[in-house]
Amino acid sequence: MSNELENIPIRQELEVLQSGQKRTNPLANVFDGLVKFCRSRSMFMLHYCTGCGAIELPPAMTSRFDMERLGIQPMVTPRQADILLITGYVSIKTLKRIILTYEQMGSPKYVIGICSCTVNGGMYWQSYATAKVLRDYLPVDVYIAGCMPRPEAVISGLRELMEDISSGRAESWKKYYQHYDYYLGNQQKLFGEDWQTPTDIIAEARHYDLMTEHTLGEHTALLEKHQKPLEALEMRLSVKDKQKV
Amino acid sequence: MSKELNIWLDNLLSDIESVQFQRRNSRRVRVDVGSEALPALLELLQGRASYVHLSAITCVDWIEDGQFELVYHVWSYETRSLVSVHTRIPRDPGVYLSIYDLYQPAAFFERDIHEMYGLYFEGSPDMEKFILTEWNGPPPMRKDFDGEAFVNEHFHWEQYHPQWLKDLEEEGGGITVRPEDVR
Repeated sequence: MSNELENIPIRQELEVLQSGQKRTNPLANVFDGLVKFCRSRSMFMLHYCTGCGAIELPPAMTSRFDMERLGIQPMVTPRQADILLITGYVSIKTLKRIILTYEQMGSPKYVIGICSCTVNGGMYWQSYATAKVLRDYLPVDVYIAGCMPRPEAVISGLRELMEDISSGRAESWKKYYQHYDYYLGNQQKLFGEDWQTPTDIIAEARHYDLMTEHTLGEHTALLEKHQKPLEALEMRLSVKDKQKV
Repeated sequence: MSKELNIWLDNLLSDIESVQFQRRNSRRVRVDVGSEALPALLELLQGRASYVHLSAITCVDWIEDGQFELVYHVWSYETRSLVSVHTRIPRDPGVYLSIYDLYQPAAFFERDIHEMYGLYFEGSPDMEKFILTEWNGPPPMRKDFDGEAFVNEHFHWEQYHPQWLKDLEEEGGGITVRPEDVR
């Protein structure tokens, strides 16, 4: 056991490994640490409850267990949220919406899978309509297993995420850009070859400078083949009765 | 009047041959009827015997008999009793008459049954996809649809073989009963 503990990199080593180059500004690390600390203490959680595990969130959020004391608040839109909670089973129809939602969220974003169903299908392992391993379709930061986990477990999972963010380990959102071909391949396997989302992940990956050799591949080539350009929605005005107006 | 209605109905239904009639208790009746006679029976129940509320239509797939069983649950507010009308139709070609003209909520149930069992109702207003809008496979509630095989073909499983389990196995222990053995 003691050997294993030694192998776990401690926080400072990890940061040096990730930055990869020497920082010239002596205060850069301090500033980065401050940013990470602040980021982990102010999180907005997307209020999109997918399965039955959502029933444990109201007590976790409200006065009994009070998530807000940790700085986590519910938010109603994906574009202003940091955390996407996948609470419980994910049907294939819901998974499409989850991916649309996830791609709309601004980086950095974190995904928490709650309940056994997100890990391995849970009690719906035999169901034709339920996606089994959430990690295949989205990068997941923290899994909270249980059927269903009590609010204490939810809070402890969120604290773990906070710890991960402040120590710089919660970087799974980068994985989505770096390994987009893998995730897209799994999505295409489930939704069909002509699956596309309105968000241009490849352009975003270029923007964040996160292109790797795994970003593009056979599946993204397939996407480009089937992709239809997005068109603006038509807007039409008509005034029938001028007297009324 | 409304108390006697039940007794009259019992008398009538037990008098007709080829209709199996069972009164379970004061509020539940089971009637087994041939598929040709079912619309007429429902017409009688709704029009004359105050059974105006169609609670549900359920379907059972009896694959060994080659039949679908349809159960129409109708409720009367006056006599406060539920009549379940059972009928069986051949599984192939699986076409039956809609009762939409008698009970309009039937459109909802028939569309659902069509989606889940592939049973077609003639005269139903809408037989389009309902809940499984993004499903292209066979009707999933039919007994000949093997859900487990579908899952094994389309999904894979998260492997979980942690160190503590490996340690147990080294000592000669480990999982004694696997889920596959129980099934």
